[in-house]
Amino acid sequence: MTEAKIRTEEMLLNMGPQHPSTHGVFRVVVRTDGELILESESHIGYLHRCFEKCAEGNNYLQVVPYTDRMDYLCAMMNNWGYAVAVEKLAGIEVPERAEYIRVMVAELNRVASHLLAFGTYGLDIGAITPFLYAFRDRERILKIFEKLCGQRLNYSYVRVGGVTFDMTEEILADIEAFCDYFDPKIIDEYDNLLSYNGIFISRTANVGVMPADLAISYGVTGPSLRGSGVQRDLRRDAPYGIYDRLEFDVPVGTGEMGQLGDCWDRYMVRMREMRQSIRLVRQALAGIPEGPFCDKKAYRAVKPKAGETYKRVEGARGEVGFYIVSDGTNIPYRVKARAPSFSNISILDKLTSLSDVMVADLVAIIGSLDIVLGEVDR
Amino acid sequence: MNLFAFTTIFAQAGKGLGEFAGDYSSKWDAGTYDGGLVFAGIIKWLVTTWGVPEWVPLSSILNGVLEASVFPEIGALLITIGLVFGFVNIFAIGAVWSERKVSAHMQCRLGPMEVGPHGILQTVADGLKLLAKEDIIPRLADKPLFALAPAIVFAGVLMRFVPLPFGDQLIASDLDLGLFFIAAVGAVEVLGVIMAGWSSNNKWSLFGTIRTATQMVSYEIPIGLAFITVIICSGSFSLMEIVNQQGGSLNASDGYVYGGWIWHWNLFRNPFMLVLSITYFIASLAECKRSPFDLPEAESELVSGFHTEYTGMRFALFFLAEYAAMYLVAAVAVVIFLGGWWSGIYPLDALGLGPEATTLAKTLGLLIKIGVFLSKAFALVFVQMWVRWTLPRIRLDQMMYVCWKVLLPISLVCLIGSCLWELASGGASVFGFGIVVE
Amino acid sequence: MIPCAYFMNIFKVARSIWIGMGITLKYFLNHKKTLCTIQYPREKDLIPARHRGIHYLETEKCVLCWKCSDICPVDCIYIEGVRGVDGPLQGGYRGQKATLSKFTVDYTVCIFCGLCEEPCPPKCIWLGPEFDYHSTDRTMMEKNLLSDEVYTESDEVFVEWARGENERLQEEKKKQKEAEKAAKAAEKAAAVAVAEETPAEAAEETTEEASAEAAEENPEVEGDAAE
Repeated sequence: MTEAKIRTEEMLLNMGPQHPSTHGVFRVVVRTDGELILESESHIGYLHRCFEKCAEGNNYLQVVPYTDRMDYLCAMMNNWGYAVAVEKLAGIEVPERAEYIRVMVAELNRVASHLLAFGTYGLDIGAITPFLYAFRDRERILKIFEKLCGQRLNYSYVRVGGVTFDMTEEILADIEAFCDYFDPKIIDEYDNLLSYNGIFISRTANVGVMPADLAISYGVTGPSLRGSGVQRDLRRDAPYGIYDRLEFDVPVGTGEMGQLGDCWDRYMVRMREMRQSIRLVRQALAGIPEGPFCDKKAYRAVKPKAGETYKRVEGARGEVGFYIVSDGTNIPYRVKARAPSFSNISILDKLTSLSDVMVADLVAIIGSLDIVLGEVDR
Repeated sequence: MNLFAFTTIFAQAGKGLGEFAGDYSSKWDAGTYDGGLVFAGIIKWLVTTWGVPEWVPLSSILNGVLEASVFPEIGALLITIGLVFGFVNIFAIGAVWSERKVSAHMQCRLGPMEVGPHGILQTVADGLKLLAKEDIIPRLADKPLFALAPAIVFAGVLMRFVPLPFGDQLIASDLDLGLFFIAAVGAVEVLGVIMAGWSSNNKWSLFGTIRTATQMVSYEIPIGLAFITVIICSGSFSLMEIVNQQGGSLNASDGYVYGGWIWHWNLFRNPFMLVLSITYFIASLAECKRSPFDLPEAESELVSGFHTEYTGMRFALFFLAEYAAMYLVAAVAVVIFLGGWWSGIYPLDALGLGPEATTLAKTLGLLIKIGVFLSKAFALVFVQMWVRWTLPRIRLDQMMYVCWKVLLPISLVCLIGSCLWELASGGASVFGFGIVVE
Repeated sequence: MIPCAYFMNIFKVARSIWIGMGITLKYFLNHKKTLCTIQYPREKDLIPARHRGIHYLETEKCVLCWKCSDICPVDCIYIEGVRGVDGPLQGGYRGQKATLSKFTVDYTVCIFCGLCEEPCPPKCIWLGPEFDYHSTDRTMMEKNLLSDEVYTESDEVFVEWARGENERLQEEKKKQKEAEKAAKAAEKAAAVAVAEETPAEAAEETTEEASAEAAEENPEVEGDAAE
């Protein structure tokens, strides 16, 4: 048979919105040539819940539970971002103890979020067991949070003027026990089980390479940006809370397994960040002062003067920013949220067009960006 | 190679499977046992060694069936098929349960605990549930192909059990071309999988099908090379013969095989065999679509691959076939590398062999051999599960890389190395024990 | 000829696989010690005291201030009743400070944020430890906090009755007041007739007062307005 007689055809493949590897309801329409992806087109919006519009109809306190539901895997950071913005707008001073508690819960939540990212990334690549190990350890953090504020995911814990409940000695002991259990032993085990596994490296190294300039131009932040070797972390560059008093490193991608900015680098930044988070929690545990845990007056009724503000914090997926406009009433005039996942996922189509990507690689790239669709769509 | 085997086998099948089995049944144990059929063997063994009287209804009826002039072998063949089929089903039920337990215990879980003690009947309950499920055929599916595919996949696996021994003398049919038959019929399964994926009229299933076709056709080559090496070393295609040779030296005077030690196994025959056994194991994982080669049904990429659209009993057949194939490749590995039913301990192997053996010793010896064979196979199945619950999945191009650039060259080197070794040593193993080839 | 990296690569992959398999085998062999799940319906995990589950209401403490339903970000708390024990409503759930005819939470809407328990002055509404909420029917998701049961049609009948009773009593009160007013007006008119002044302003004032009083007496109107 001559070559001219062989007819090939491109295939349009609809991946999602119900697909195990899109981490939620996310749809990618891919044009494939066999296993190779020629072009991909992302469709979002399946989980749109009008956060910004809801915020315009509720008072400053009532908005807090809505921020939980944006990035439900690290709700503490969203709460904190919102609280910081309102505090700046209303000029509220936060008690010292509340700041320490905030750092503690936020860093624990970062660990929980990265654990889930690690587990589901293993699942995307095909290793099922790391997922269950990650959930086992995440469960310990969630138990601590449940003891602390009564919920496992949507905490509404960090509020304007402080936090909702005080830390008890029992919870502090729990946190310390978790740090001792988790830090060197369990993360090393994860690294041995998955991070340095030969098959895992071959699946993720040199896949979905994201050059630093491209990542910056797309507004990618957080571990995904640091995976490309850019040293940018708001906790260090624009400190909020008490981060300027704490010691920690900012892990960045090294390109040790392939090119700088590939899936393995992004994944590994998260693994290394977990160690730094535990380090931060340990420092906060050592330095937590006695005192009030919230400004009761600010906590009850916030009525900032007319004005506007933008504040951002470093969430588990990148910069969580809140732009709030106040017209002097107890209801915000406008709340705009900058969701890191939304910016991060916008680079997906570019990444698939940059190099030869296979269907299995697309799954790996989506997993390495670690998106939460609740945050993408809000 | 496979296509040629196919045509031969189907041409033979035209004459009737019973006749075919009869034609190819070997006479390894001349005189005492000529049917080559498990059940006939059991009956004969019952009558001769235990002296079960003819008036015992079961044995006499079955004996009558066997002695009948019209269907001398068909009856026994059907019974044999029933036994093999039953074994496959029971094994699949046990294996699914143990896979769930193994995975659970590796993942700090308990696994099924509700149905029966430690959930041992969970698979039975699941099977009943699948039986009761609605059988859905998608509207735009190619209906005849869609309906036929699971049966072909299952038959393809079941057919490979024909030349596979379960213990000393326990074999459905000891084909002279046993290993060749296993390699050849393996292609039937690919056909069924391709039919399933194509007829589903689903793009994801099509992906699964393409992956299956590339994977299974590629990995037949390292498997075939492993077979060829073993065949060259043992000088026989018959699985019984290959196992018997691993039992140590032949006692020429009475024709009985006496058990040897562990170093008589093919695995330790020469250093190349050791490497080859590993390449065979890796290739066999790919052959039965197990992780890390589970690309055809990669659940995080293709949802469920070629059997996405299947429900109910048709899905159960795919499932059954997968687990049957797991046992099959493990049992073949036991036969060709791990000494079959020989335990590797001389006194244990020698039990019940030889003309002076008592009835009790014979019975015990038979049971021990069955137990040894099955436990070796199950240990390999456990390793398959262990690998599955540890490793990530590899990508399509890496799968091809592993096959063509790693396994194939290594297998070829091992094949040539084994040949040279045999030539140089005159059939002696690493340890210097001569293995007499008739 | 044959690159060394090829063999090094195979060796590295094999070694890493071996390490990984060692970890899973370790867990498999120690599975009794590493077990971290429980058999849920038989064993139950400890629920912390602060757990935010299904609402509980201490009816006798409730002062009917509507603060919980006001603060609720999703407006899922529905309250009807009358303040004061000697309110017009006969029957219903009589507390020390208020008489309640309806206090339900719609769990299809509730987000368990716990905001409702904070502003409550007598701390009578709180989120309890129950977390296994499920239902086969959407209408079953509205829980009556007064009887700790699902808010059913019979409850609705009672609330309808209570509503009607309330309105009837309000109407009666209004009529009574109007009658009193009319009597007063008549008196005033008599006085005016004597003093020769127009009664318009006075009449307006009295109507305003009456409506304010009615609003206070009938908090239902207020509650609805707040919602």
